[in-house]
Amino acid sequence: MTQMNRRDLLAGAGALGLAAALPGYARAAGSLTAAIYPGTWEEAYRGVVAPILKKNFGVDVAFDALFAVDQVAKVRAARGVPPFDCFVLDPGPAAAAMQAGLFEPIDIKKLSNAAKVPKGLITSHAVTCNAQVVGIAYNPKKFPNPPKTWADLFKSPYVERLGLTGFQTTFGTVSLIEMAKAFGGSEADMEPIFKALKEAVPKVAAISTPAALPGLFQQGQVDIMYGNTNTVAILKGRGVDIAYIAPESGSITFQTTLHIVKGAENVDAAYKYIDTAISPEVQTALQNAPYNMVPINTETVLAPTLDIKSLDELSKMVTHDWTKINPQRAAWIERFNKEITK
Amino acid sequence: MAAIAATAPASTDKVDWRLAAPLGLVYLAFFAAPFAILLGVSFYADPEQTRLGFESWTKFYSDAFYLKVIFDTLKLGVFAVIATTLLAYPLALVFRAASARAQRVLIFIILMPLLTSVVIRTFAWIVILAREGVINQTLIGLGITATPLNLLQTELGLVIALTQIEMPLMLLPLLTIMNQMDQNLIDASRALGASKWRTFFRVTLPLTLPGWIAGATLVFASATTAFISQSVIGGARLVYLPALIYQQVTVVYNWPFAAVASLTLLFTVLAGIMALSWLGRFARTS
Repeated sequence: MTQMNRRDLLAGAGALGLAAALPGYARAAGSLTAAIYPGTWEEAYRGVVAPILKKNFGVDVAFDALFAVDQVAKVRAARGVPPFDCFVLDPGPAAAAMQAGLFEPIDIKKLSNAAKVPKGLITSHAVTCNAQVVGIAYNPKKFPNPPKTWADLFKSPYVERLGLTGFQTTFGTVSLIEMAKAFGGSEADMEPIFKALKEAVPKVAAISTPAALPGLFQQGQVDIMYGNTNTVAILKGRGVDIAYIAPESGSITFQTTLHIVKGAENVDAAYKYIDTAISPEVQTALQNAPYNMVPINTETVLAPTLDIKSLDELSKMVTHDWTKINPQRAAWIERFNKEITK
Repeated sequence: MAAIAATAPASTDKVDWRLAAPLGLVYLAFFAAPFAILLGVSFYADPEQTRLGFESWTKFYSDAFYLKVIFDTLKLGVFAVIATTLLAYPLALVFRAASARAQRVLIFIILMPLLTSVVIRTFAWIVILAREGVINQTLIGLGITATPLNLLQTELGLVIALTQIEMPLMLLPLLTIMNQMDQNLIDASRALGASKWRTFFRVTLPLTLPGWIAGATLVFASATTAFISQSVIGGARLVYLPALIYQQVTVVYNWPFAAVASLTLLFTVLAGIMALSWLGRFARTS
C-alpha cells in the first residue's frame, strides 16, 4: 500500500514537472495564448482559426475561454504579467481596457490582410474581427405578429413573455439604450427606460443573467428577448423556434475587436493570429453554420443564411459611443440591481 | 527527521504541532496573505485605488439595498438548512433501520448527486422547473393548474434546487452519527413508556445533534456561496452576495467595493457557522 502511494506521488510529481516545463517548450516552437469567448466563438476559433494558423505560419494557439469583462479583470489583476497574449473584446470592455492602458499599439504593416478590411475597422490599438448585429428575437409559433419596435416589447401580449437582461453585457446595454430612446430618452437620459422597466417587472416572464437567457428561450420560459443574430442563428440551427426581427428604428451593430495585450510575450505570433482571423479564408468559413458570424473582410461573399445582405448595411445601423456609456454604466447596473430585481 | 522520531513517541497526550506546519504554511501563503490584501483593498475610497478612506464600507453599510442582500443571503442559507433537515432526518432514520444491503443501495442513492457536477445538476433543475418543464407539464396534465406556475427565478425554486444539490452534505454526517447511536438507549426509552415521538425528541434528536450541526454547517456555508445555482436558477431577479461580488469585480471594476462585499460574505458565513457551533456546545452541556 505504501509503495503504491509512493508511486502515485512520483507519477503526480512527474506530471506536475512536465506541466511546468511544457509552456516553455511550446513558446519556443512559436505559439501564443489567446482569450476567446466561451461557446460558439471558442468552437469557431478552435475549429477554424487554429488549424489555418498552424498550416500557414506553423504557430500553435492555446485558448483561454473568458467573457470580455473577465478578460479585462484578469489582465488587470495580473498587474503587468498578462496571462494571455491576445484579447477579444466588445466595445465597452475594449474602451475600459484602452483607458486602463492594457493594449500594445497595432502596427498595421504587420497585417497582410489589412487592405481587405474596410477603413476604420483597424485602429491604433484594435483590429475588428467580426461585426455583431443586435435586435429582437422571438418565437414565430407563439407570435405570428412579432413586436415591431423596442417599445412594443413592453406592451401586452409581448411583455408577459419577455426575457429581460441588464447592463452587464454589450448587447444588453445597447438594447436598453435603444429602448430608452423609444420612450423619449437618450444615452444621457435613461430615466424613461427605468420607469418602463419598473412597470414591466411584475409582468415579465424572466429577468435573467445574459448567459442563461438562450437556455430559458430554449426551455420555453421566455418567447421574446433581445440579442445578436449570431445567438438566434445558433438556436435556430439547434431546432429552436426562433426568428430575428430588426426593430423599426434599425438593428444595432457593434464590432468585436482583437488586441495585443500590453506586455505580451508572443507579439509576433499574436500578429500572425490576428492576420489569420481577418483573412478571407477564415472570414468566409466563420459566416457559415454553425458559427454565423458577420464577416468584415470585403473579399467575403456573404452567405444567404446571414440576416444582412451586404456589409454596407452595417454602416446604416445604430451605433453607440462607448466612451460616453462606460462612465455611466456602473450607475446603471446599480440602479438595475436596486429597482428591477426582487 | 531524527528530532521527529525522538519526540513523536514521547507521549500520546501531547500534540506535535510541527505536523501541522505544512498545512499551516499553505494557509498562510494562500489564505492569510490574500485575505490581508483583500482587507487592504477594501480601504480604498475609489475604484481606481488611489485614495484611502472608508467610503466603500460606508456606502455598503448605509444602503438599505445592500443590507437586504446580506439578509437575503443569510435567509437562503437558513432555508436550505431547514429544508435539508426536514428531508434528511426521516431518511436517516430509515437508513438506520434498514438491512446492510438496503443501506448500500441507499448510500449509493444519497451519494449520486455528489458524483455529478454542480453545473449539470443546476441546469437539470432549469429543465425541471421551467414553464414547459417536467413539473409544470405534470401539473397541467393532471389538471391541477391551467397556467404554468412560475418556479424558476423564485426563491422557492432556488431553495428546492439547493435542497437537492446540498442534501448529501447534510445526510453524510447525520448517517454517521445515527449509525453510532446505541440502540439500547432507544429500547430503554420505549420500555419506560415513552411514545415514539417522545423518544425521538428526548433521545434520538439530542444524541444526533452533533451530526446535524456538522451537516447544517456544511449546507449553510455551501448554500450561501452557491454562485452557479444562485445566478442560474435565481436569475437576475434575486441578488445574493456572490453575484454582487462577481458583478463589481468583472463589470463595474470597483474592486474596493467588491472587497467589502467579499469580507461581508466571509463574516456572514462565519457568523452562521459560529452560531451553529455555539448551539453544539449548548447541546452537549445541557
